[in-house]
Amino acid sequence: MSYAYLFKYIIIGDTGVGKSCLLLQFTDKRFQPVHDLTIGVEFGARMITIDNKPIKLQIWDTAGQESFRSITRSYYRGAAGALLVYDITRRETFNHLASWLEDARQHANANMTIMLIGNKCDLAHRRAVSTEEGEQFAKENGLIFMEASAKTAQNVEEAFISTAATIYKKIQDGVFDVSNESYGIKVGYGGIPGPSGGRDGSTSQAGGCCS
Amino acid sequence: MHETDILDLSDDADYAASQQQGSRSISRCSSDRRSEPSGAEVVFVKDNVAIHPTQYASERIRGRLRLIKQGTCLFMTWIPYKEIGSGGGAFGHSDARLSDKDRNLYSIRAVPVTDIRSIRRHTPTLGWQYVIVVLSSGLAFPPLYFYNGGVREFLATLKQHAVLVRSADDANLFLLNDFQDPLQRSLSSLELPRAVSVAPTSTSESSSSSSVSSNRLEDGRSYSEYQKHRQKSNDPARDLSIQVLEKFSLVTKFARETTSHIFGEIHNDNLITNDRKNQAPIVLNSNNDVDNSGLESASTESSVAADPIESLSFSKQKSSCRKENCCEEASTTVGSFELVDCKEFDKMTLVWGKPRQPPLGTEEWATFLDAEGRILDSNDLRKRIFYGGVEHQLRKELISIIYLLWLQIWKILLGCHDYDSTYAEREYLSSIKKVEYEALKRQWQSISVAQAKKFTKFRERKALIDKDVVRTDRSVTFYDGDDNPNVMLLRDVLLTYSFYNFDLGYCQGMSDLLSPILFVMEDESEAFWCFVALMERLGPNFNRDQSGMHSQLFALSMLVELLDKPLHNYFKQKDCLNYFFCFRWVLIQFKREFHYEQTMRMWEVLWTHYLSEHLHLYACVAILKKHRKKIMGEEMDFDTLLKFINDLSGHIDLDATLRDAEALCVCAGENGAALIPPGTPPSLPLESNLLYSQQDEL
Repeated sequence: MSYAYLFKYIIIGDTGVGKSCLLLQFTDKRFQPVHDLTIGVEFGARMITIDNKPIKLQIWDTAGQESFRSITRSYYRGAAGALLVYDITRRETFNHLASWLEDARQHANANMTIMLIGNKCDLAHRRAVSTEEGEQFAKENGLIFMEASAKTAQNVEEAFISTAATIYKKIQDGVFDVSNESYGIKVGYGGIPGPSGGRDGSTSQAGGCCS
Repeated sequence: MHETDILDLSDDADYAASQQQGSRSISRCSSDRRSEPSGAEVVFVKDNVAIHPTQYASERIRGRLRLIKQGTCLFMTWIPYKEIGSGGGAFGHSDARLSDKDRNLYSIRAVPVTDIRSIRRHTPTLGWQYVIVVLSSGLAFPPLYFYNGGVREFLATLKQHAVLVRSADDANLFLLNDFQDPLQRSLSSLELPRAVSVAPTSTSESSSSSSVSSNRLEDGRSYSEYQKHRQKSNDPARDLSIQVLEKFSLVTKFARETTSHIFGEIHNDNLITNDRKNQAPIVLNSNNDVDNSGLESASTESSVAADPIESLSFSKQKSSCRKENCCEEASTTVGSFELVDCKEFDKMTLVWGKPRQPPLGTEEWATFLDAEGRILDSNDLRKRIFYGGVEHQLRKELISIIYLLWLQIWKILLGCHDYDSTYAEREYLSSIKKVEYEALKRQWQSISVAQAKKFTKFRERKALIDKDVVRTDRSVTFYDGDDNPNVMLLRDVLLTYSFYNFDLGYCQGMSDLLSPILFVMEDESEAFWCFVALMERLGPNFNRDQSGMHSQLFALSMLVELLDKPLHNYFKQKDCLNYFFCFRWVLIQFKREFHYEQTMRMWEVLWTHYLSEHLHLYACVAILKKHRKKIMGEEMDFDTLLKFINDLSGHIDLDATLRDAEALCVCAGENGAALIPPGTPPSLPLESNLLYSQQDEL
């Protein structure tokens, strides 16, 4: 399926905050409480439409445990967007945000769009982090913020799409050089004709079929 | 394109003349006395004929192609030019990355034209003309690019001196020595040992051995005689060094495919047809514009550097077939070769290790034991399990004896019991250990709520384990459903382990390792001690600083460099040498890559430590090599590669992987072992007191 742009996303945050569930809810529109814990990284993808343009999101769902941080850091490279997730019912997952953010700032490109997600907002009765605290943290660190629930699907679609919209706007504003893939953006073949030309073009200068 | 200035041609009297005149025939013996047997006559010489080992222009090897006549025999040679100033100075810009070894590797020294089956001419509209020479053994040399033209003249000269006919099906295919008798041709196609003869040894040796084998068909020597000859010239794999493997690299995948094709025909039709159009060569030892008559698309195939040891698979596979039901030492069969019943080949695939055996069952198990239950020969047992695993009885409750076999063997493989322990000793030890386990378990069970409040580390570990056990193999019946008691056992064992080995604690991935163990043991204490034994080997995988993982991934990169240099170079070019894309494979021993049952089989094999403690790394190499063409052909970068590798999960052929891993392990031999630093998991650490240098995360 052709797309105008492909954005690479990475989902980060402590173990058990619901990263894989958010991904599954977004890609498959279902909630699966019983799934294997993530070792290394898992992948998901979905097409969305922004400004009438088909955009493919390729989403990297990472393992959250501290021990795997050094591996996770290698996944930041070339990510256009990040979903930084904490669990509103577990205070410590909120407390660890700063260290996640530091990793992201250090290993991702500076223009990466980061969305802060307070997950499990369906469990309001067990809330350990207030919405205001989440908003405050996001504001202080220049992040977009939403509370969401992978279980009820509340705000899940919105979180992924508004991140994409932000990235898209950055492209329109010329923040990114879309021909440089280190920004986590690929121009699709069916998309905007860019100055760089097709990537799959034959190196042969002679036109026509190369078979 | 003339870059002759970089070539040292000072010792070559012919060079100047040929430069001036271009291609020409020489009607008398060349002044070059070095490589031709005495009395030889050079009937054709062409300079600037090149081989392109990779797609990089800088790695092209230019040399001189000659046809030399000695008596009634015509030989073809292609010798690369020597080079000066490699890697430096004003001249070193080209070919600089090639060592003399690389050059020698590709040299074609005196191949009898009687050994050539066909030559395919390629005349692309853009770029150089080239030919692909295919031997009757099915081997093909890399394409020879004629920078100065002269393909037509080359073929014309051949026609003067040998039986050369143009194929009726393909105007660009020229056939030599066209045997009329299909059986003879099939025999000739099987003659793998000729691959040895085309490998660069001394000229006289190589030509004489080639002559012997090519004469065989005429003089009707029996195959057994031929075998004797072969045995002399082809050492068993025990002596295989990488250098030998490199020599083999002239053998191409085409050899196997062609042979497979031929055997398929024999099997299906009892006759080889004369139709040659399906036998167009695929030359993998080179790169550009190869003739793609099969397999994958041209785009993935065309620019991928060849697998340097693919060739070995050919001989190995044959030997494997021969040894179908025999446990002969793997290392002695590599490289050996025997004509076998054709029907054994009809399923010839890319797999090239020794065929897997059926799993060890109870009756056979008894033969490994003495009356008191001691294992008579631990090496024998390990070898047997290495090749077949243990019979799994998934309905354990019905056939308890098999279940016991499985359980007992795992405990022995993991080192919970000594090989020379008796039934009674094992039983006694188990009962002692049960008591010990209960004591360990009480350590955390006795922590009161009040104490837990002051024991952050315990609370956090417990919370993490609680979270993870419900996310472990819940699709496996043994662990599925709500409130499954086995999930609680999983938690209890992990929590007890985190007290037993408090320094290491708990880390994600451990539940994956414990799950099959508990499944087999079904007993908490037994599972715990098996897990302890496994963690003696794999604990460093979970070191906080990832040192155990890094050392294995480093060893893996060394092995790939040894066993597939082009692939290594590719990863290097793509900045992928950290091998993080193999992280999950190594961390939990392929647990997520295979189905549950297969994982257990894999583990049994790995745990034998039969050929190597690090067979899992060879398995990584095997899987990577299996997909090398796709990886390199599609120019995967780190991200794409990671996703590709992830997506292989559930699609990896276990038996093929194990066979390949075995073959690679044998191939690498001591060179491979030497590349893996001492103490690399699952080898035991050098200093046990430094086992877990953990820094607290919590």
